[in-house]
Amino acid sequence: MSTELPESAAPPPTGSGEPFSSVPTRRTFIATSAAVGGAVVAGGAFIALPEEATAAGASPSSRVSLTVNGTRRTVTVDNRTSLLDLLREHLGLTGSKKGCNAGACGACTVLVDGHRVNACLTLAVRLEGTEVTTIEGLADGGELHPLQQAFIDQDAFQCGYCTPGQIVSGVGCVQEGHTGSPEEIREWMSGNICRCGCYVKIVRAVEQTAGRK
Amino acid sequence: MSPQPQAAVGAPLSRVDGRLKVTGQALYAAEHDADGAVHAVIVDAAIGRGRITGVDTADAEKHRGVLRVIHHGNAPTLPYRDNSGSNNPPGRRLRVFQDDRVLFHGQPVAVVVATTLEAAQHGASLVKVGYDAQEPSTDLAEAEPGKPTDYARGDAEAGLRSSAVRLDVTYQLARNHHNPMEPHATIARWDGNRLTVWDKTQWVMGTHDELAAVFDLPADAVRVINPFVGGGFGSGLRCWPHTTVAALAARETGRPVKLVLSRRQMYFGTGFRPSYEYRLRLGSDRRGRLSAAIHDIDAETSSYETFTEAVMGAGQMLYSMPHVSQAYRTVPLDVNTPIWMRGPGFASASFVIESAMDELAHELGIDPIELRRRNEPSEDESSNLPFSTRRLRECCTVGAREFGWHRRSPKPRSTRDGDWLIGLGMAAGVYDPGRYPGDARARLDADGTAVVEAATSDMGPGTYTSQTQVAADALGLNMRTVTFRLGDSLYPRTSPHGGSSTMASVGTAVVDACNQVRQQAIRLAVEDRESPLYGVDTDEVVVRSGRLHVQGNPARGETYRSLLARNNRSHLEANGSYTGPPSPARHSYHAYNATFAEVAVDATLGLVRVRRMLGVYDAGRIISPKLADSQAIGGIVGGIGTALLEHTVTDHRDGRIVNANLADYLVPVNADVPEVRAIYLDGEDNDGNALGVKGLGEVVQVGVAAAIGNAVFNATGRRVRQLPITAEALL
Repeated sequence: MSTELPESAAPPPTGSGEPFSSVPTRRTFIATSAAVGGAVVAGGAFIALPEEATAAGASPSSRVSLTVNGTRRTVTVDNRTSLLDLLREHLGLTGSKKGCNAGACGACTVLVDGHRVNACLTLAVRLEGTEVTTIEGLADGGELHPLQQAFIDQDAFQCGYCTPGQIVSGVGCVQEGHTGSPEEIREWMSGNICRCGCYVKIVRAVEQTAGRK
Repeated sequence: MSPQPQAAVGAPLSRVDGRLKVTGQALYAAEHDADGAVHAVIVDAAIGRGRITGVDTADAEKHRGVLRVIHHGNAPTLPYRDNSGSNNPPGRRLRVFQDDRVLFHGQPVAVVVATTLEAAQHGASLVKVGYDAQEPSTDLAEAEPGKPTDYARGDAEAGLRSSAVRLDVTYQLARNHHNPMEPHATIARWDGNRLTVWDKTQWVMGTHDELAAVFDLPADAVRVINPFVGGGFGSGLRCWPHTTVAALAARETGRPVKLVLSRRQMYFGTGFRPSYEYRLRLGSDRRGRLSAAIHDIDAETSSYETFTEAVMGAGQMLYSMPHVSQAYRTVPLDVNTPIWMRGPGFASASFVIESAMDELAHELGIDPIELRRRNEPSEDESSNLPFSTRRLRECCTVGAREFGWHRRSPKPRSTRDGDWLIGLGMAAGVYDPGRYPGDARARLDADGTAVVEAATSDMGPGTYTSQTQVAADALGLNMRTVTFRLGDSLYPRTSPHGGSSTMASVGTAVVDACNQVRQQAIRLAVEDRESPLYGVDTDEVVVRSGRLHVQGNPARGETYRSLLARNNRSHLEANGSYTGPPSPARHSYHAYNATFAEVAVDATLGLVRVRRMLGVYDAGRIISPKLADSQAIGGIVGGIGTALLEHTVTDHRDGRIVNANLADYLVPVNADVPEVRAIYLDGEDNDGNALGVKGLGEVVQVGVAAAIGNAVFNATGRRVRQLPITAEALL
């Protein structure tokens, strides 16, 4: 699935879906069961959540131009699309991982204009004119980025799922200069969870890379 | 057959799949390209028990991009053939969208399929489900347990009564969730009546068999693929309901469907380490010689399946004593079914037993290591079998030396560093590693490279690398000329990738297949008049770096390539197998450890910080030392989580998990883990596997929580008999 459009493409579709017509039924025993939380109270009585006025039918989109790993892209995206979903579902860049989709695990860490961000919390439409660097953009041709090589040397990963986020975050950490001591690295790398528990070696890999600079 | 030189096994090699993982090219379940895949999002039950009175899908179906909403009111009847394999526990497994009953909070009640992820997510929020709700029972302490599983030797009650020293302690262990970094995910595609699934699983064959059973398909109509697993720790040992949901949605819509559980849904869409209430009574003499132990163990399970794990093993054999009784009772609750989590059973039991041993040591004024030495058994007293190897004393001795145990003050609350109270603790660990039958296939090609295949997994320990190591040595090839493939149900069948079983089981099958291929080549050479090896006894030929030669005479030989080319052979191929451990068992085969912890506890705030940890392991032969080191350190980190952080909290009023996310369910982060070190004792254990391994993925987490708890006691004088040990408990 590609949403990539030439610059001359037609303007993005507006929210032209059918207007929300069904009247919310507020029967006592209706609970709205949503992907992110329904509403339930104790004792078997339920409260209906308020309906979202703009919910049904609408999916407004926007066009945004950004540079991803050095390549300029102009895409039309659903306004609800996160940078992470843009990368993974639309641009085929699945190196950035979805671990929690809530900014708590760091698996989606990318650099936006050189700064570490959680791509899952960043709406794609906000990124007009930005430069995004993902794990796929770190190696220089066939040559790995020094931190990528350090992760292999130090065995700083096991399952590998948090690894792209750890490495991108580590690149940010080194650039920021937060590598004065293992303690400092640990603090500044604590936004990236590694459930396999490779922290000791992640710190060594960041140290190894910072030492080369 | 002459023994092959071991060049790769035992060498501290980097991962063969390292480059793929550090460049983001390794593809996990949700990342495979199924052309034209649409997205599915599950709507989960908002009540803890009851019935669905109605599902209003009108708004969802009007939402742009939504293709279909499937629920019990419109789903087809699924065959759900019996399948006691695939790690389905006894009971009646959850059948998705087959009736109106809600068995636990979060049960799938509908699925929304849409052309985009955003539309599916939004569509799911628009489905209105009506319920007739009942109050669920989710509190282990309040519910009725089922019939116990018992064990007894001697007369534990009498033994306890006549003991000079008695301890009676009850421990509460919180529910833990695996929380692998990769969420569970499935892509399902139908081609006619054939189903292909990319699924996050630790067992492609288990998922294969379950899907064939659920949809009543012939075995060859289902294929399950999963080359990379983003962590598991046990959560992928079973085929969960969402995998069926994805396959059903794909069949109903006629499109490939991608379904990824949200992190929140992972807390009820997959299993968990069950919570426990564990009462232990110990009796000993004044010198610390144990005489009796009575274990009363209650653990949660679901209302529809009876999940059990090996929580009784350690209490029967870790220490010598004449009298033991155990009653293990599962408590059915309105929750989803638990599943094994790293160090299953043993990790939970060891926290209780090893904490109680520390309590006893303190009571008696005996050093905790000395107390364990005094109760070292000479055989496995649960089976009366000799130990294959048991080097627990050596683990303790090496650990004490390397950790500086002599610096520990036996008097609690006697060491300070400013505001911090400092404590040292240790615990022993044991695990019963799995050894299961399985197959593998090896093929040596005319170009001198080899491909070895087995339907196993690599959830992170490094199966790709370590199996390549054993295959390379058995074939006499260099690592870079051997490719090991896994994660496809078309490969030879293996058992689950779990229970520390993979190297002993799959590794043995791999060695068998590779040995056969090597022997084929050797026979071909010694019977070939053109070969420099013509007429040589097959037992005299070894292979090194792809070249066959007479042992002790490297000059006389030739390469695989020249041999196969001259004989017009495109390849040599063999199937290998592992038939499982000796039956009946000849030995008690267990892995052991001694784990040491130093903690600092803020004297006024109760905050616990781990300062350093050490694990010393008796895990048999280590195939891949660099990777084994990472695995041990990771097990300790997992144990830090269990000890100090991890706790799934349920609101018992409605069965909702209130901290179903990674911000409120705390796991260790980098700042929680300072110095951690692992030492594997040199050695091997040849009870029933030629590789001499014992498995190490589980034992490395067993005992960690107790070591930390014991260090907290040493620091503070406070014995916290619940996990996790939080600041609140220490205030």
